[in-house]
Amino acid sequence: MTEPEGADGYGRDDEAVRKLLRRALRKRRYSPDLLAGIQHRIRQRSCGKFFSNGWSVRQGGVGHVWIGLATLLLVAVAYCVLGPIDLR
Amino acid sequence: MPFADDAEARLVERLVQRDERAFNALVRAHEARVFGLLLQMIGSRAEAEDLAQEVFVQVFKAIGAFRGESKLSTWIYRIAVNLSKNRGKYLRVRHSGQEDDFAAMDERVDVGNAKRAAVGSVARPDDMAAGKQLERIVQHAILQLEPTFRECLVLRDIEDLSYEEIEAITGLPEGTVKSRIHRARGQLRELVERELGEKIA
Repeated sequence: MTEPEGADGYGRDDEAVRKLLRRALRKRRYSPDLLAGIQHRIRQRSCGKFFSNGWSVRQGGVGHVWIGLATLLLVAVAYCVLGPIDLR
Repeated sequence: MPFADDAEARLVERLVQRDERAFNALVRAHEARVFGLLLQMIGSRAEAEDLAQEVFVQVFKAIGAFRGESKLSTWIYRIAVNLSKNRGKYLRVRHSGQEDDFAAMDERVDVGNAKRAAVGSVARPDDMAAGKQLERIVQHAILQLEPTFRECLVLRDIEDLSYEEIEAITGLPEGTVKSRIHRARGQLRELVERELGEKIA
């Protein structure tokens, strides 16, 4: 290369382009909020089993234990109402 | 693991244990840079946002394979660059005729204004508009570069990464990285000067 070297080991042309890029793109970094979307994808693809602390399965509201207890109660009530009747 | 930084080693340990707070902290720390990189590589905000989310999903899936041979940020960038290459190929095939988001920006001013911004400081309102126009021209020119050149240019001149980091991200030898950056700057210079109609000061 015949040009005098700049800070990057290349010529003035390279330095001019670097400066132009900095000048043109010097705005503040902007990013959309990605976290919710990422959590959603992970939760969906792992069926709520990814995180070790149970975060993703707590999002559903009603837990498995409560659903189990409610089912047992329903079965017990049905048994009492519709159970075998002693005809003797 | 051969981590240079203790804090990073602890963070990775928590990530491997699938600690939700560690994952959230990782996203918050890197989302802006990852999104910015992808936006420069692809040119579409919607695609960049979608791909940035995918990058972090891949990071979380593969964190167990991270051995600390490079910085965590470098490893995340490598995933981002690889995914952006694949998405770029797909988009070029699917939407070859469409305008990029930078070209479609609403605020348009004449090229004469952009020339002022290319050589001077930006302070007055009309100069700010000129700055916007210059930004649009430069970003559009970046998207016209060959993808292999664009990748090196963006990592070096926009993301300010060292040559060593760029080598680790792209898997290219130092000479190739330097040569691609140099050629990318040459191409960019030509494209911008053609658009402005004069030489860059």
